[in-house]
Amino acid sequence: MSAPIRLPPLRRERLDNGLEVVVATRPGVPLVAARIVLRGGASLDPPERFGLSHLVALAARRGTVRRSGEEIDLLVESLGADLGTGVDEDASYLGLSAPLEALARCLEVLAEVAISPTFPAAEVARLRRREVASLAHDLDEPAVVADRAMLEAAYGSHPYGHPPEGRARHLLRLRRAEVLGFHGQHYRPEAAILLVVGPVSADEVLAAVRRRFGRWERGGAARLELRAPEAPHPAVVVVDKPDLTQTQIRIVSAGFPRRSPDYYPGMVASAVLGGGFTSRLMEAIRVNRGLSYGVRSRFATSLVGGLFYVSSFTKQETTAELVEVALGEMARFADGGPSPEELSRMQNYLCGLFPLSLETHDQVAERLADLAFYGLDETEVTGFRERVRAVDREDCRRIAQRYFPGPRPLVVVVGPARHIAGPLERFGPVRVLPARKVT
Amino acid sequence: MGKGSTEGASSTARVIDLDRVHTRELPNGLRLRVLPDPGTPTVSYYTFFHVGSRNERLGLTGISHLFEHMMFNGAAKYGPKEFDRVLESRGGHSNAYTSNDVTAYYEDFAAEALETVVDLESDRMRSLRLNDESLEQEREVVKEERRLRTENSVFGLMEEQLEALIFLSHPYRWPVIGWMEDIQRISRTDCEAFFATYYAPSNAAVYCVGDVEAEATLDLISRAYGDIPRGPAPAKVAGGEPGQRGPRCASIRYPAQAPAILAGWRGPAAQSPDAAVLDVLQVCLGVGEASRLRRRLVLQEELAVSVTLSWGWRIDPGVFFVFAELVPGAGRARAEALLSEEILGVIRHGVTAREVDRARALLRSTVLHELGTHHGVAHALGQAEALLGDWREAGRVLEHYARVTPADVRRVAAEFLDPARRCLVDLVPEGERPGERVRRRR
Repeated sequence: MSAPIRLPPLRRERLDNGLEVVVATRPGVPLVAARIVLRGGASLDPPERFGLSHLVALAARRGTVRRSGEEIDLLVESLGADLGTGVDEDASYLGLSAPLEALARCLEVLAEVAISPTFPAAEVARLRRREVASLAHDLDEPAVVADRAMLEAAYGSHPYGHPPEGRARHLLRLRRAEVLGFHGQHYRPEAAILLVVGPVSADEVLAAVRRRFGRWERGGAARLELRAPEAPHPAVVVVDKPDLTQTQIRIVSAGFPRRSPDYYPGMVASAVLGGGFTSRLMEAIRVNRGLSYGVRSRFATSLVGGLFYVSSFTKQETTAELVEVALGEMARFADGGPSPEELSRMQNYLCGLFPLSLETHDQVAERLADLAFYGLDETEVTGFRERVRAVDREDCRRIAQRYFPGPRPLVVVVGPARHIAGPLERFGPVRVLPARKVT
Repeated sequence: MGKGSTEGASSTARVIDLDRVHTRELPNGLRLRVLPDPGTPTVSYYTFFHVGSRNERLGLTGISHLFEHMMFNGAAKYGPKEFDRVLESRGGHSNAYTSNDVTAYYEDFAAEALETVVDLESDRMRSLRLNDESLEQEREVVKEERRLRTENSVFGLMEEQLEALIFLSHPYRWPVIGWMEDIQRISRTDCEAFFATYYAPSNAAVYCVGDVEAEATLDLISRAYGDIPRGPAPAKVAGGEPGQRGPRCASIRYPAQAPAILAGWRGPAAQSPDAAVLDVLQVCLGVGEASRLRRRLVLQEELAVSVTLSWGWRIDPGVFFVFAELVPGAGRARAEALLSEEILGVIRHGVTAREVDRARALLRSTVLHELGTHHGVAHALGQAEALLGDWREAGRVLEHYARVTPADVRRVAAEFLDPARRCLVDLVPEGERPGERVRRRR
């Protein structure tokens, strides 16, 4: 029998300004993970300004009322700490990993960066140039191009349809006033969650948090309600990179939001199809045919929607064959569901490995952040095994029929169009995009 | 508060409790190291074979890595496709990697699966079954892996070129994954000979860390592996890398969006005390936003979008490199000149005590992160034994960093990052005007 899954002792507090604070005390290495999660990420980027939230997160640490960006770098790093910022489609993040003894100083810096960044004009302009240049390098990474193209093709004009890093031509237009405006509106305590995890005294951490974050002023802006995205339209999109000898492939369909009751059945069904080394896709594509080094499927879940997708890569000559094999495996799965042996193997796999996802302070902080952000309760963690084990074969079959791509899929491929577009026509009319359109 | 966090006892304390590691060596030469730690109800089980691309020869480059793939294709008791199926059904996960020096296999799993894992691992060490069909499949898989990591990757192409520049005769000259033609050439007979020599218990060590009882685990492993015969001693790797008497350069033309440079030098062997000093130098130069190269190239001059440094400890002298992704249109010659200037600055004037303190503080956090999981501890023990000859070194690394002084950093920079012994790979985006590079070079 496996030991029950427990969360460390938690202390929760809501400050007067609305900031939600969670402190978890657990033994382990003398490091502390702290993070601030702010509601609102790339999906709040205004039209023609894709990349704004990303730029705000990066620029926040480049200067505050008390310190320049270089002073922050030097202080944080001299303490042995790491301060990172970023966004995804739903949230903005300020993350800190610090030696236990440096926590008080680091919380001070974290509070400054969240509450009182000054966004120096020179730093904003510099970061904007750097991000545009980084997007050029992204174009040289076939997998990154494929992921960006997939989001655009799947979500279309929905706010989830652009990558958090934004678009070069939008970034070039961004003005500092827009950066200040975004921060003023969305970096607010009532929209934020602060988590601190490590071998800490909860009393001491809470006292420090009250002192550093108590002065953060409420905003009062109404929260934007995001509509649910539509299902992706069937299409075959080829992003042309003439010199690649290997194509990147994504086969995509609609998924579900994180809070959906289909979350656990979806996790199990996708694991049988394309998780681990013994999945059906791995067996069909890698083991039996040697078509690829790797293939996986997953449900990517967000606040108001999600995607299901299969990702892989293969030499250009076998691109259509790989798509065909993957679609065939999904159809077979939708027909008969997993065998009893497959289902129980994957349940054991997911349950056995789950404690490994709660081993470090950072992992626990991330898990707690998800619970707080999506409004889920602790049984999502402590009852993980029971939920996974409750999934049956019929659930998996239902998931496959509802979500896996059918005979008219959305397929996104990055590779040399002149060689691969023809063979891909069997899956639908092919639209070819030059790679530069993807940034 | 307010003083450097690297002072005081906590910074140099042993990061692994070495006294709690239980060890045994079997008559067949297999070394066992078990560290019980019930913190999380999981176990990490690592098997290190002391073979990597440095044990290969031209014509068979990549055999260590291709062979690693073959280890998952069935043995006498657990046949083809069964290894992962049995392991996953018991709540475990496995993978492996091959480096220049070692091939390491691991399983991370729920503690109840320990006996199954020992049975699976000892089965394949005792009685791996190699057949032509699975070799052909894995060959294709590995070719895809090479296309992924090297042929369609800007950095992969540059790194392969750099190693071929730095080494003239040492086997570090070729990539771990091997040359494409060699991957195509390796035969089942080659694999069988490889297995007989390099996968014998006398060339391996097992590390087990997690929710286990130490002596019972040592007994369990001893029973499972005890009957596997010792193997022949592997051939010694010929060293003999000649000295470098001037800078070396290579260019790669590729349809990239932006230029990049990769500069590398041959460092000391892992066993040298200077290896830890180079870790400190690496952080001073290029780890963190406050490091010298990031500040200069990314923040101040805006020539690069990223700067990445790597100093990898290897059995024989390995590679210290600086990789900079440049802004589109930025002059490679200017980036090279600034890089040289910064490195010469360290050689001529050294680094400050504050910079060394910052490096030590960041290195300590990195080590603590690595050792924050059973997997990380098991790997660190194996890595230390393979590269340094003693697993105890995994627990001593912070002591080495604590002894590093600014003078050491300067001395080591002068010795190993000499501009006259630099190797440089330029990525030239195709379509750039011909002659540009020549014009910008002084």
